[in-house]
Amino acid sequence: MRISERTYGERDEVDFVIVGSGAAGGVLAKELSTAGFDVVVMEQGPWEQPAQFTHDELVVERELAMLNRAFEPHQTFRRSASEPTAPVGRGILYRRGVGGSSVHFAANYWRFRPSDFKERSLLGPISGTGFADWPITYEELEPYYAKVDWEVGVSGAPGVGDPPRSRPYPMPPLPNKSSGVLLEHAATKLGLHAQVAPMAIASRVYDGRSACGACGHCAYYGCEFGAKSSSLVTMIPKAVATGRCEVRTDATVFRVETNARGRATGVAYWDKDGRERRRSARAVILAANGAETARLLLLSTSPQFPHGLANSSGNVGRYIMFNGFAFTNGRFEHPLNEYKGPVATRVVMDFYESDPRRGFYGGGGIDARFPYGPIAFAVNGLPEDIPTWGVDYARSLRDYYTHTMRLMSHLTSLPVATNTVTVDPDHRDRWGRPGFCLTYTDYPDDMQAKRWFQQRTQDMMEAAGATRVWNPPVQPVDGGVHLLGTARMGNDPRTSVVDRYHRAHDVPNLFICDGSSFVTSGRGQPTMTIQALAFRAAEHITRFARLHEV
Amino acid sequence: MTTRRAFLADLTWAAATGGAAVQLGLVSMLAGCERRIEPFARLSPAEARTMRAFAAQILPSEPGLPGAEDAGAVFFVDRAFGDPFFADTVPIVRAGLAELDARARGAGARDGFASLGDAEQQKIMRLVENEPYFAAARTLVLIGTFGDPSHGGNRGGVGMRIMRMDHRPSYTAPYGWYDAHI
Repeated sequence: MRISERTYGERDEVDFVIVGSGAAGGVLAKELSTAGFDVVVMEQGPWEQPAQFTHDELVVERELAMLNRAFEPHQTFRRSASEPTAPVGRGILYRRGVGGSSVHFAANYWRFRPSDFKERSLLGPISGTGFADWPITYEELEPYYAKVDWEVGVSGAPGVGDPPRSRPYPMPPLPNKSSGVLLEHAATKLGLHAQVAPMAIASRVYDGRSACGACGHCAYYGCEFGAKSSSLVTMIPKAVATGRCEVRTDATVFRVETNARGRATGVAYWDKDGRERRRSARAVILAANGAETARLLLLSTSPQFPHGLANSSGNVGRYIMFNGFAFTNGRFEHPLNEYKGPVATRVVMDFYESDPRRGFYGGGGIDARFPYGPIAFAVNGLPEDIPTWGVDYARSLRDYYTHTMRLMSHLTSLPVATNTVTVDPDHRDRWGRPGFCLTYTDYPDDMQAKRWFQQRTQDMMEAAGATRVWNPPVQPVDGGVHLLGTARMGNDPRTSVVDRYHRAHDVPNLFICDGSSFVTSGRGQPTMTIQALAFRAAEHITRFARLHEV
Repeated sequence: MTTRRAFLADLTWAAATGGAAVQLGLVSMLAGCERRIEPFARLSPAEARTMRAFAAQILPSEPGLPGAEDAGAVFFVDRAFGDPFFADTVPIVRAGLAELDARARGAGARDGFASLGDAEQQKIMRLVENEPYFAAARTLVLIGTFGDPSHGGNRGGVGMRIMRMDHRPSYTAPYGWYDAHI
């Protein structure tokens, strides 16, 4: 249900304008409006409701109708800055629309561990990277992880090696799937530990929302049940219900405006009719994701900020990280029917920590899943030695689709200064705005980690009893959905973009809080941490505002 | 997201998912008409014949296992030929269909690829299976077989039957054999 919202006139000065209504923007909007501030959220997409979401694989997974690529196909890619840019396949992916990418995420809600925040101190420097400690600790962030659990809504159960938690999960685990049972079996056989995968999905009626209907359409799809705990159905309705939050949809922010004193005064945007408009505010918060936030900063140039706003360090857009992935597929004797249920129900965290004895930096978690709709599976889901047409192909589709699962490793990516998202003036969007250019080469350790983890998943698939095991090739990164590190947090303005409270070092009333704040990548499931950071940032921003320090 | 869905296709989907009896009756009637007289909007008669034969080679039917022809994949292809999303694909596939016919004529078939027997069609398929148009046309056939019926293919839920899916809008555990038995 869409709640009627407050609207602010052009001349009304509001306390905060927040760019982005997704995982971070939703939390910030809800927290700041609840604290009594007037807030306008700028969202470049529409406000769809759960009942509008579809299971149509062609529209969602191939046309990418919910994602940016459907609206802005012009992205380029290169392995290094010395190469010419070239059009890219899928590239940087995120959703435009209220709730942002939290609408189509898979809802894996792993917390970071204490080590994630201090790996540089624990493991030492890594040559040629920006590997660094975070300026905050797990202990500082833990209360906000608990807030995400309870206020956003996470189901789960404690597991071996979990970081400390101050409150239990608010909801029990979702029912286990066959892939989870098989992962448990393999783990036991190999002396590992399978545990419940924490998911931002309601396992029972929760906070007025329906329980999961196990429809099998989480990743890339919106949840028509409202069970997936996206900002669309959790934070945004609560923000609007305060009567102090307007969500302005179809509003594409193209510049953060500043005055002669170097303070942010608001944002300039195009409305749905293409008219250029302005939204002034006492402070600006960017929560537009690690790619859009970086582009907005880079395009917000002025005589005072010739290289982009908040970019005196030169690090806006640098150090982009996507998380590495590697996987093994397996077919089993009996049906698993992985097209039903949530993405994953069990995960193995035994290889989470980086271990110098492996000879490379990197760690991750392994879950069991099946990422194929029937079209995708038919196109390229079978082992390579099976014919791609004819009777044997048709029989293989029949025999494999319901019997197959994937063991998937979710891995670290190292922050490298030359891995960047920049703007490409030769490829413009429909507004005439420069598109994204991604420059990315996997650090050698990241590729080693993928190969090492694929060997682990192969061992586990065999231990699970698969009758057929195959490894799709390990691939280098050329884009992704986890957009991390491009306005990194740190204490030193020379090497970071925001401070430990997400305040831009260069602009006292500009805050940046989304995946761009990450210093290191974590292990493949960033949204839980993005939202914990947002709850924490909101608390500090509230404090600053009340002290007139914004 | 539903703007491209045609009225008839929606009714067909209703049939596939167990719609109201009155709809089913109408759909049966319309579907019966379709089989006989449904015109193709964008495929020429020759292209439609060739695409049908190609689709039947990609996913052939056999007893107990329906194929692309049963799914009406060609009707999806006809729609895809007018869909801006497939604008880059269409000329590639169109040229590919023409090449299949040319190769068939080279093998002595006056009426193109569709008029060849199974063995001769498969011989040509093996010769061209690494051509870019082959992959493009194959993908269209597979979308037409396994995609949402609202796009004109996957008639009667044939794609779900091929995959042995118990296709429903939601499910309850247990989902598979292992979570039911272990």
